[in-house]
Amino acid sequence: MNMNRGPFQAVIESKEQISPSTYMLTLQKPEGFVEAMPGQFVSIKIGDSTSPLLRRPFSIMDSTPGSLLLLVKDVGPGTSYIVSRKPSQTLDLIGPLGETYFDIPSGEDAVFVAGGTGLAPLVFTARKWAKDHRIGISHFLYGASTERELLTGICREDFTYVHVATLDGSEGFEGDVVKMFNVLREKGALPERYLFSCGPAGMVKKLMEGGTENFKSHQTSLETVMACGVGACRGCVVPLKSSGAPVYRAVCSEGTVFEADDIDWENWRE
Amino acid sequence: MAQLEIRIGNVTLKNPVILASGPAGYGAEYADFIGLEKLGAVVTKTISLNPKAGNSGRRLLETPSGLLNSVGLENVGADLFFGEKLPRLLELGAKPIVSLACEGREDYLKLLETVSGNDTVDMVELNLSCPNVDCGGMAVGTSPELLNWYVSSARQILPGRALLAKLTPNVGDIAGLAEVCQDAGADGVTAINTLLGMDIDPDTGKPIFDRVVAGLSGPAIMPVALRAVYEISSRVRIPVLGSGGITSVTDARKFLAAGAAGIQIGTAIFYDPGLPERIISAVTGAQQGKE
Ligand SMILES: Cc1cc2nc3c(=O)[nH]c(=O)nc-3n(C[C@H](O)[C@H](O)[C@H](O)COP(=O)(O)OP(=O)(O)OC[C@H]3O[C@@H](n4cnc5c(N)ncnc54)[C@H](O)[C@@H]3O)c2cc1C
Ligand SMILES: Cc1cc2nc3c(=O)[nH]c(=O)nc-3n(C[C@H](O)[C@H](O)[C@H](O)COP(=O)(O)O)c2cc1C
Ligand code: FES
Repeated sequence: MNMNRGPFQAVIESKEQISPSTYMLTLQKPEGFVEAMPGQFVSIKIGDSTSPLLRRPFSIMDSTPGSLLLLVKDVGPGTSYIVSRKPSQTLDLIGPLGETYFDIPSGEDAVFVAGGTGLAPLVFTARKWAKDHRIGISHFLYGASTERELLTGICREDFTYVHVATLDGSEGFEGDVVKMFNVLREKGALPERYLFSCGPAGMVKKLMEGGTENFKSHQTSLETVMACGVGACRGCVVPLKSSGAPVYRAVCSEGTVFEADDIDWENWRE
Repeated sequence: MAQLEIRIGNVTLKNPVILASGPAGYGAEYADFIGLEKLGAVVTKTISLNPKAGNSGRRLLETPSGLLNSVGLENVGADLFFGEKLPRLLELGAKPIVSLACEGREDYLKLLETVSGNDTVDMVELNLSCPNVDCGGMAVGTSPELLNWYVSSARQILPGRALLAKLTPNVGDIAGLAEVCQDAGADGVTAINTLLGMDIDPDTGKPIFDRVVAGLSGPAIMPVALRAVYEISSRVRIPVLGSGGITSVTDARKFLAAGAAGIQIGTAIFYDPGLPERIISAVTGAQQGKE
């Protein structure tokens, strides 16, 4: 059975700037948009010219009956186009894309670790499973360079505890989010059951070096450069650990969420 | 009736709009976005006899109006392809053209035997032009002797099946090589595969891709592809399928005007999956206008 995954013309309902370079976009949910899971994404066409050429992928931050929430950081031409669009204008998107999602059995405690816009899929995870009362106590650890870049204002209600770290110490813990994670973990402040992470590969790698082996599951949502977004072109792959021939998985269609332990971090160059 | 059909060897395609090998995978990946049954055909991702993991390191880089890829023919291999992927595409009502890797001679001959034993395949495209593998591919496509051997072997093992030869633009005289394919028994040629390119990180001085070079596709290469199709169609009798940077109805019309019997769409479906069906409507309309 075919699913309707677009392209849709999604109307922008509102746009809110939440840090110097990051915007929260609320889109009217296109008619026929399939129910999304946390870790899934949409891919947005950038205007009508061929430069930029490819669609750009964005995690779904929330999906309610009437709307879709996205968090977009302006880092280049594609994102710049998106954040320059105004309410009542449209974005051409396909989705939901991605196959695997952040999952947790009922009643488990969870620790969430994010940097940058990695916050988006984790907020969706907390909201999605809060509805089913699946998550017990939740800790959200978030890092940014400085207080002005912290995006946690939009999700304080979604977690039991929110811990922030800034590199310059302008708010919260002074240092990076992994350092904060290690300090809290060593103090025994974090329930070591389910760990959900999303951020730059360097952050996740360091997180694992610091010690995540006591967690029952460490699920991470990965980002790679994509072309098709649907598993056809095999351009977005990450290597998995394997004893024999190399094994690659497409982040778009076999991810975006992987058990962090399965990834061959040594041989993954972004 | 509008005369939209095209004939390659003894196979008829219902219209000249085809998905190129690679970008659309095995076809089914795009079933939610493209009415595959409406297309002239879908050329499936190039398969080799055995599965291939593909290249390490980064595989994609966008360039101005273009895309560099170093996928390296990652594919599921002949068994899984004929066992699962091809039946799925047929179930979806699509007309498949099966793209075959031209690697080591022994594996290639075995691959042809496998195709020979499968009567759901009536058209194949020989990928004589992949820039992203060390063995075979483009090395074959730049040598008249090797081209002749690969095409004539397929001709012998697959009598009665339509045979397309896909050419690389990374040569001096592409039309001359198209003639070699025609003389070796090809029923049509596809031009072009990707152009060789690369990128370098200026800070480290190192190439971006592990294999150093990569294949350039997308609108940036359209004029090169158009020139190739124009030259080839004036030199061969067999039909030519144009591939390279087709992103609009206008582009498609240019290729047909240059002598192409049909067109293949690749990179454009990544951002505009509605394009193939728009081109079909446009050519249908144009044909009806002529009646
Ligand atoms: C599954 C997925 C989910 C994502 N979710 C979000 C999100 O919720 N919010 C958000 O702001 N961004 C998200 N991104 C990243 C976003 O897609 C890129 O920032 C965007 O494509 C950059 O486009 P650009 O034209 O603005 O910049 P470009 O000029 O294309 O790139 C700017 C910089 O970002 C890097 N970059 C480009 N594409 C990617 C990518 N796919 N992943 C990582 N780095 C990249 C480039 O190498 C370059 O250094 C996600 C990416 C993926 C793959
Ligand atoms: C990601 C990607 C993978 C490709 N894989 C193949 C392949 O397996 N076999 C092949 O013959 N061509 C392959 N190609 C080349 C395309 O079929 C096409 O000839 C080329 O990209 C030019 O057309 P375009 O600009 O419309 O994409 C690939 C192209 C891309 C972008
Ligand atoms: S982006 Fe094409 S396979 Fe993932």
